[in-house]
Amino acid sequence: MQSDLMFKRALCAAVLAAMTLGSTAALAHGIWFAQRAKQLALIYGVGADDLDMVRRLPQVESVTAYDAEYHPINAVARIAGPIILIDADAQPTLVAAVMPYGVWSRVGDGEFEKKTLLEMPNATLSTKNIKYAVTIQGPLSKPIPALAGHGLQIVPVGAIPATLGTPLTYRVLYNGAPLAGARMINDMVNDPDAKEVLTGADGTVALPVRNQGLNVIRAVYDGPSDQPRLYRQIEHTATLAFTLAHAPE
Amino acid sequence: MKRILTIVSGLVLSFALPAAILAHGATHAQHGGVVQMNGETLFELVRAPAGVSLYVTDEDEPVAASRMTARLSITVRGKRREVAMVAGRGNQFFARGLTLPQGASVGVMVINRASQARYGTTFAIR
Repeated sequence: MQSDLMFKRALCAAVLAAMTLGSTAALAHGIWFAQRAKQLALIYGVGADDLDMVRRLPQVESVTAYDAEYHPINAVARIAGPIILIDADAQPTLVAAVMPYGVWSRVGDGEFEKKTLLEMPNATLSTKNIKYAVTIQGPLSKPIPALAGHGLQIVPVGAIPATLGTPLTYRVLYNGAPLAGARMINDMVNDPDAKEVLTGADGTVALPVRNQGLNVIRAVYDGPSDQPRLYRQIEHTATLAFTLAHAPE
Repeated sequence: MKRILTIVSGLVLSFALPAAILAHGATHAQHGGVVQMNGETLFELVRAPAGVSLYVTDEDEPVAASRMTARLSITVRGKRREVAMVAGRGNQFFARGLTLPQGASVGVMVINRASQARYGTTFAIR
């Protein structure tokens, strides 16, 4: 009897662990902006995996750019060989993108398949994914506002420091409002497996700026489903990219 | 053996360091203006009574302004206006009669006509 109880508890723990790991695997990839050959590129991947963004370009819902006053500037995504570059009509202060990434489901620790609950009714995890990216390309004269279409967004609180190691507070916005419990990592490119930290009650978290170069901060939030018949949650993955200049040469 | 390695390492370093330091060429104003670097690209903005000039240098090589377009996005007290510059001699772009007031944010966008490659930076006018 006692061993039966222990077995059930162990089984429950294993299922929970599998679900947690499954969630982690599903949220790993994202989109972010980075420089390629001096041009602004939109990247899909995680860590050093700079994956095929050209194939995914049709999934990109919006690319937007903003001036110093956060007024829109015309911007388009352009295929340039194997990468996607952003062409803005004027020098932007911010560039942003949104890419819905479909519905993915799986049973237990099985493979994720691009299926809804209608197609995989016994799925233990079924999630719609949406990827968001924002990059700071110019000096900020005022706080970054909530951007239209960005369900999840990371904004810096205060000025971007000049040197790495300096703490910087970030606020995570969900539909424009501060979000407690968003899962953050400080460097999606160079430390993608870092232990996540959660935003506090006011939606903020302070992290030391990690790189004297490109910084890509990532936040993830599993929000409620808007179509429970098709998927049980919406996984929002947002990045904020900015660079610190290196010392003069 | 260890001594030889030390000497070789020293020689390698002595050659490597100057190369790294000089990697991006000049970083200072050549025309009395203010400079912004974006990677290895140098932008120099010069305000003069006749107008505003922009000089662009790429790793110490002046770009050919005739092969580029240049545009300034000038934001003053929340209002933005766009100014197209004309190509001048060498790496100079010019906007005749333009003045830039203190406090203006000036975005620079230079586009290579052939490749559509974009080079940009932002100046804060003080």
